[in-house]
Amino acid sequence: MRDTFLWRNRVVLVSGVLLLLGAHMLSIGVRDGSLASKPEALATELVRPLLELDTHLADGASGIYHDYLDLVGISRENRRLKAKLERMKGEETRIAELELENRRLAEMLELKDVIGLNAVGAEVIGSDATGIARTILIGRGANGGLKSGMAVISNEGVVGKLVAISPNAAKVLRIDDHNAAVDAFDERSRARGIVAGVVDNGMVMKYVERTEDVQIGDPVVTSGLDGIFPRGLLIGRVSRIKRGGPGLFLNVEIAPAVNFGRLEQVMVITEPPPRFEEAGKS
Amino acid sequence: MRLAALFIIAAVVALTLQSGALHWLTFGALVPDLILILAVDLGLKHPSAGAAILAFAMGLATDALSGSRVGLNAFMITLVFLLCYELSRHLWVSGYSVASLAVFFGVVIKDVGILAVTGSFDRLEGADPELIRIILTHAVLTALLALLIFPVLDSGKRMLRLPRRAERE
Repeated sequence: MRDTFLWRNRVVLVSGVLLLLGAHMLSIGVRDGSLASKPEALATELVRPLLELDTHLADGASGIYHDYLDLVGISRENRRLKAKLERMKGEETRIAELELENRRLAEMLELKDVIGLNAVGAEVIGSDATGIARTILIGRGANGGLKSGMAVISNEGVVGKLVAISPNAAKVLRIDDHNAAVDAFDERSRARGIVAGVVDNGMVMKYVERTEDVQIGDPVVTSGLDGIFPRGLLIGRVSRIKRGGPGLFLNVEIAPAVNFGRLEQVMVITEPPPRFEEAGKS
Repeated sequence: MRLAALFIIAAVVALTLQSGALHWLTFGALVPDLILILAVDLGLKHPSAGAAILAFAMGLATDALSGSRVGLNAFMITLVFLLCYELSRHLWVSGYSVASLAVFFGVVIKDVGILAVTGSFDRLEGADPELIRIILTHAVLTALLALLIFPVLDSGKRMLRLPRRAERE
């Protein structure tokens, strides 16, 4: 048995079969709810509680660290009073934090009213596990009524769209990922293009004709033509324009409106936006 | 079985760190690829079909928390495992520095592979120095961290009385 070709090369053969399986999954794509999506959902659900714990611990650890720094050097006589003061300061910080959160949520509610579509809030619980891709994890999934392809926004602008769902978490492909693309237009000049992420950093607006009057600082918004994002949501602002070089189109760089590093809450639009023609009539 | 238990726990911890705490220590948006370090350890020190399946499963778990294409990380991690396994068949890998070097090249292969599959190179005009910098930074960061993680993994194996090095076939 141990002298056979199969046994001697078992690791290579098993690896080869697994490589073929990986390539097959890549080529067919995996749909939510299919058998192949089960391990992915299981892994997300396995890590989700730890990520939520991690998020809460991070908040706690930051508080402890700052309390420690503030307390160093306080003499024994006034330690009790200082500690009390620090507690009050901590309370003040907490209230300020709650106020900020309140403001963010109020802005999101306002945005929800402006859009006029059904939407649910969700907390950001994790970031991309490799950093090469740009995704985030949110703490709401299929049990909260979410489905793949739904648009995700924040009070600052467009965040991305849902690409994978597990029962209690979902993965969001950010608009600055190199696989993301959104139909958009320059709000001032009305120049249309496709906003896509780049591997290095930031985003570019492709297929903008050279004759268009695009200027630095112009707001770029969603066109609503892709059937995912409602029309008029802020994507970012034009940060750089390269007019030189060959080609039919301008090279327009976009700075995202959303600060992805500080994103804490998002809103998922659970209702498909009206088609642009219908939106135009209404 | 004990090997699987050790690597499943290590993978859950690694993914939690990669998606959460390690983002505090980022260089740009990059986070060290701890799962790849585990796959290199499996490839170099545990030549078995079970280890290949473990590597694939860890890649699939990474797919759950990264990117939009299921199977991409599973494919690349299995490929890195296979290359490390082949390396261990032809080269006696002892010491952490050679393993760390394998991690460096593993990250380069994985990142280039991912970017090639997702078509990102098509959008670039020639070799983009910024992209090369990103890949090399990612590889160096992960390789340096591997020097700390391999001893921790070996301690875990010692506790579970697992072999710390591959038996020559």
